[in-house]
Amino acid sequence: MKISCLQENLAKGLSIIGRAVANRSTLPVLSNVLLATDNDRLMLTANNLEIGINCWVNAKIEEEGAVTVPARLLTEFVNSLPPERIDLALDEPTQTINLRCAHFEANLKGIDAQEFPRVPSLDAGGEIINLEPAALKQLIHQVTFAAAVEESRPVLTGIRAEFQHDRLAMSGTDGFRLSTKNIPLAHSIDEPFEVIIPARALAELSRIIADQEEPVQIAVTPAQNQILFHLNNIDFVSQLIEGRFPDVSQIIPKGHNTHTVLDTASFLKAARVSYLFARDAANIVKVDVTPGEDELVGGRLLLTATSQELGDNISELEANVQGDGVEIAFNAKYLIDVLNVLDSAQVALETSAPASPGIIKGVGDDTFLHVIMPMHLSR
Amino acid sequence: MPIQVLPADIAAKIAAGEVIERPASVVKELIENAIDAGARTIRLEVEAGGKRLVKITDDGRGIAANEVPLAFARHATSKLSTIEDLFQVKTLGFRGEALASIAAVSRLTFITRPEQQVAGTLIRLEGGAQQTLAPTGAPVGTGVTVENLFFNVPARLKFLKADATETGHIHRVVSHYAMAFPEIGFSLRSNGRQIFQTDGSGKLYDVLVTLWNLDTAKQLVPVSGRTESGLTVDGFAGNPGLHRGRRDQIIFFVNRRWIQDRALGQAVAQAYHTFLPVGRNPVAVLNIQLDPAEVDVNVHPTKAEVKFKDPRAVFAAVQRPVRQAVLQESPLVRPAQPWATGPSPQAARFGLDMQRPLPTETAFERQETPAADDQRMPPMRVVGQIQQMYVIAEGPDGLYLVDQHAAHERILYEQMMARQAQAAVAGQRLLSPALLELSPAQAALLEAEQDTLRAVGFEIEPFGGRSYRLLALPRILGHTDPVAAFLGVLEEMLEGAVPLARQTHEKIAVIVCKRAAVKGGQTLSQEEMKELIYSLEKCRNPRTCPHGRPTMLHMSAYQLAREFGRH
Repeated sequence: MKISCLQENLAKGLSIIGRAVANRSTLPVLSNVLLATDNDRLMLTANNLEIGINCWVNAKIEEEGAVTVPARLLTEFVNSLPPERIDLALDEPTQTINLRCAHFEANLKGIDAQEFPRVPSLDAGGEIINLEPAALKQLIHQVTFAAAVEESRPVLTGIRAEFQHDRLAMSGTDGFRLSTKNIPLAHSIDEPFEVIIPARALAELSRIIADQEEPVQIAVTPAQNQILFHLNNIDFVSQLIEGRFPDVSQIIPKGHNTHTVLDTASFLKAARVSYLFARDAANIVKVDVTPGEDELVGGRLLLTATSQELGDNISELEANVQGDGVEIAFNAKYLIDVLNVLDSAQVALETSAPASPGIIKGVGDDTFLHVIMPMHLSR
Repeated sequence: MPIQVLPADIAAKIAAGEVIERPASVVKELIENAIDAGARTIRLEVEAGGKRLVKITDDGRGIAANEVPLAFARHATSKLSTIEDLFQVKTLGFRGEALASIAAVSRLTFITRPEQQVAGTLIRLEGGAQQTLAPTGAPVGTGVTVENLFFNVPARLKFLKADATETGHIHRVVSHYAMAFPEIGFSLRSNGRQIFQTDGSGKLYDVLVTLWNLDTAKQLVPVSGRTESGLTVDGFAGNPGLHRGRRDQIIFFVNRRWIQDRALGQAVAQAYHTFLPVGRNPVAVLNIQLDPAEVDVNVHPTKAEVKFKDPRAVFAAVQRPVRQAVLQESPLVRPAQPWATGPSPQAARFGLDMQRPLPTETAFERQETPAADDQRMPPMRVVGQIQQMYVIAEGPDGLYLVDQHAAHERILYEQMMARQAQAAVAGQRLLSPALLELSPAQAALLEAEQDTLRAVGFEIEPFGGRSYRLLALPRILGHTDPVAAFLGVLEEMLEGAVPLARQTHEKIAVIVCKRAAVKGGQTLSQEEMKELIYSLEKCRNPRTCPHGRPTMLHMSAYQLAREFGRH
């Protein structure tokens, strides 16, 4: 193996796949990066067995071959090189690569490429679905935060992705709140299906999508155990989670008694202020909704947080209230989380009773819906 | 069979059986006589677990020659003359049954000489029948030799246990008297081998060093308390680092009489609430001194149980000083001194290097102990984490190793108890109620404790039969599987894994906090560690987790310097 490439290209490629390098693995080769010639390009691969990334970099191939070298050392070395041409050559018998760039030279000891678990490419999959990258990014942003972080219920650390005929709906829940959102598919599919994708993997994917403009191509491996996202020069593969996701349609309340509309930014700000006090008191923030008396006096929403040790805080917000007044308590953290991802200027809060779920939607956006369960104090 | 009056010897054997159950009962009765006779030293020899031989020699007052035969008559005693005396009993024995009972079931030789007489008296009885009565040369005091116990009651003999077991019972009896009467020197020999010997120095501490060992004794804290009604409690209690699997090392004396009392044992165990590991019991030796009129010792033939006129007052009087002593004594170190004033006396304490001044007062002499229900920590600086389990921190006096799980448990527990006091424990509702199918035992427990479970944040509703729906769970359990968490709490409650918790809500709180606390094996960020230590500093009892395991180990600056050879 003997190749040349530009320092900027190699550094960028390494930073993209760096997310999939295993940090502390019992399998030493997983903390390496695979360098392999692929036609007239260099393919970089990292795989931590949960997610795997292939990234292709333009290079001049003089002699084909493949090797793995420690990812961290290679990345940090390449990052400190000047933006010039890098010549890379592998000494097969010792599995050592020699790098030269300007007046720098290094020899890195590697591990045989045969030991590295390859990441499947798009052509291995079934039906290919196209998605707008910006929409996918937004979709991931609005649902992954609601997924569970702890591993005690593995299914809830995943996001359910339902590929319907012409839409992709994603839902995330940690058992106390639920976020769902759907986006249109570029073209409809024949066979609807659904999978559970680890929320962590989606978050990584979202970072990689960044400024890509071409559609993202998605496919599920025939064995239904991996999902593959194809981007410009990048393959992103994630394991799927097996199990039964909670029935989302049953969780979403069918009706409500109070419909409260208020300014998203003000609500978020008030929630953040409440949290300063609530975080010392089990995160509880009390939401008090009062309908307006007549045309002139509008409704209002009071946010109250009380800490026995620190003191208390009350924020008053103007609101358009339809229906009865209500008093309900929420986890302030949950309120902040959902208000953070809303992109509508106005937010609607729908409630029925102090012990019944609340619904949060962006006004004018019927593709997003968030259910949040109330808290109670033992009295 | 027609009704008939039992022959005297059968009646005597039946009566003897009530008092004399086994060799240890013989030992007990004879020791009590010796003590009541004002002995300064009491020597015991047993063979074959006391079955073959029990020999006791004292240097007490002895019995005058003319009274000796009377001593073996049933209900003959020098300790009581009117019925009123019975309610003011100050001596150990008083029924006048002991000697007669022992004599009835053994071959007994009795040699005694009061100081005023030049010669002693020897009397020998077999099965209660007098064989010999003659003057003899003897030292001042009394010697009793009981041989072939139960030789004439084969039924009883059959039920005696192995020699080792019977020796163990004897050992226990003698130990108890040695503790209750530290001013008397006791010695016990078994099959010619010395078991122990106390020096009669009058100090309970010395006795305990002899009976247990120096290491154990070093872990004892003096206990002393007094109520307005004049009841006093004195003795020693182990620090929380000293615990036993069984409860038989919580030893009580009432007016120096060894007694068994479950309620009092409970009082002491509860004083260690949250300080001892699950299923372990403390060690304590306590003498309760009260007006004899306040206690009835005449409820049990062997006097092992007593009846207090006001058991609740005694319970409180015992628990309070023990709790005080325990709180003063944290498992390892207690920065009682102001931290800025240089090396403290505690500086040298680490593990077994604790240098506790040995108590110099007489055994049960009391000393004032300041009330301490608060043992906050000094401010500490986080250094790092090791083994994903312990946080290393630096305090004003050296190095601290903090167990992250135990520390977090303590923090959550105190927070939850504070919130419970304000009725402000937060429950978080579940998106979809979880269906539970409970066992009959679980269902019964749930029904009984529904309110308490609700008070910590669980909400459960019946769903027909033994099915229930879990609607909400404590917020601090939010990161766990709700069903697993709830069933886990129920299971632990069923197992009674928190024996020291006074009330069910404390018990549930302990279990919930255990489940909610950060586990070992989790890497903590610098911020998380800081928060943990900061919260721990705010705790009232930061040094143990609610189960009683220590939350931290301390290595003082002095200890570090010494280990590195700088001193």
